[in-house]
Amino acid sequence: MTGETRDPARSDVEDLGYEQARDELVEVVRRLEAGGAGLEESLRLWEKGEALARRCEQWLEGARARLDAATTADPS
Amino acid sequence: MLTAKLSEYVAKAPALWVEGQVVQLTRRPGQSTCYLTLRDTDVDLSFSVTLAARVLDALAVPLADGAHVVVHARPQVFPRRGSLHLAADDLRPVGVGELLARIEHLRRVLASEGLFAADRKRRLPFLPRAVGLVCGRASAAERDVVENARRRWPAVRFEIRAVAVQGPSAVAEVTEALRGLDAEAEVDVIVVARGGGSLEDLLPFSNEALVRAVAACRTPVVSAIGHEVDSPLLDLVADVRASTPTDAGRRVVPDVGEELAGVAQARRRAATALTSLLDRETRGLAALRARPVLAEPRRLLVPHAEQTAALRNRARVAVRTALDRATDDVGHLRGRVAALSPAATLARGYAVVQTSDGTIVRDAASVPGGELLRLRLAEGDLAAWAEGPWADGPWNDQDDDTSGDTTDHTTEGPDQGFDDPDQEES
Repeated sequence: MTGETRDPARSDVEDLGYEQARDELVEVVRRLEAGGAGLEESLRLWEKGEALARRCEQWLEGARARLDAATTADPS
Repeated sequence: MLTAKLSEYVAKAPALWVEGQVVQLTRRPGQSTCYLTLRDTDVDLSFSVTLAARVLDALAVPLADGAHVVVHARPQVFPRRGSLHLAADDLRPVGVGELLARIEHLRRVLASEGLFAADRKRRLPFLPRAVGLVCGRASAAERDVVENARRRWPAVRFEIRAVAVQGPSAVAEVTEALRGLDAEAEVDVIVVARGGGSLEDLLPFSNEALVRAVAACRTPVVSAIGHEVDSPLLDLVADVRASTPTDAGRRVVPDVGEELAGVAQARRRAATALTSLLDRETRGLAALRARPVLAEPRRLLVPHAEQTAALRNRARVAVRTALDRATDDVGHLRGRVAALSPAATLARGYAVVQTSDGTIVRDAASVPGGELLRLRLAEGDLAAWAEGPWADGPWNDQDDDTSGDTTDHTTEGPDQGFDDPDQEES
């Protein structure tokens, strides 16, 4: 895939807060593990799961960076 | 003349009890009268007093400088110098009991005025820009306050006013110093400190004028007078009572080292708490991502792939069986067709006779002589001219004696007299 197509599922992931993204990720994993979803649905769910996981990572890395910046700003 | 008039006028004044503190008692041996200066306890005012020596001798306790006394005297004018003085005929020391009683009385008065009310007490500033200190010159009290404060906060700044902390001038000097420090914008707290001393020594600190001056201060005042047990009125009016100068030194400034340590620890704990939260969340996320459904999506496709494969197989099987069946059907049909089809018959030697217009000839009689006929044989076709029914023609009598037979044999097989092709083959 060349450019990142603005997939609606992915765009609203961007706006999610950390807890929301994590909870949705848990839900996606639960549904995937429950099985029974159609092929198309499973693929969509899996893609959404990946997007949510990336979002959570962004939040965590951002938080860690802010914390490091704050603590190294003036080493007490 | 004037002096005479004046002394005459003054002599009319009644005798009265005057209270004060003895200063400069001069008594020359052999003289019947002695001179002393009596200072007012509240204001900077003093009188010279003459007293008969015998009154002094009558005293149980010898009179000491600075003692609080009450004299019964009458104002007089010295004719020669024209100065006013008090001629005393009686002098009584103000006893300790008396002093205490008086302090107690004053305390009640001031208390009723609300000067000691708790709600007047102001909180000490956490970090004063400058600490005002009223204390004796180079006194132990000063050292105690300054050292203790410095130990807790080295950068503390003091505004020290060294004044008399006992004796007649104490009240005035302390009050003066207090007002000065109160006016200083930088001074955020004032400590009045004095080491231990007798009741008399500490008396100025229960003095009404001084107590009122402290009440009037806008800056919070810390009283640190004497030892733990001493409690002059100043303690009651001050915003904070420190038991000793050392205690005062500790109260007016925070222990900066301690505070800094507290702040550093708070920062560390906040950072640690956040880091542990981040670690926990990161582990949680890693666990989620490790779940097979996310980690190996191919597995997701397995059931579908299997299902598809299964379906395809079934489809194939279904198709194959259908084919087989179809093949069988065709086989049968072919068999039947073969059975029904003329070709086999022709193969057995028969032929299909058709007239020129294609109709199949079944009745010999239906064909007039000379008609063109098409004989379809197993192999190829023949053209033939019809001579008419076999029975009528001369070619008939050669093969058998059935000429008399008038039955129409045409319905029998064509070989009448010919051998049946099938029989030939069998």
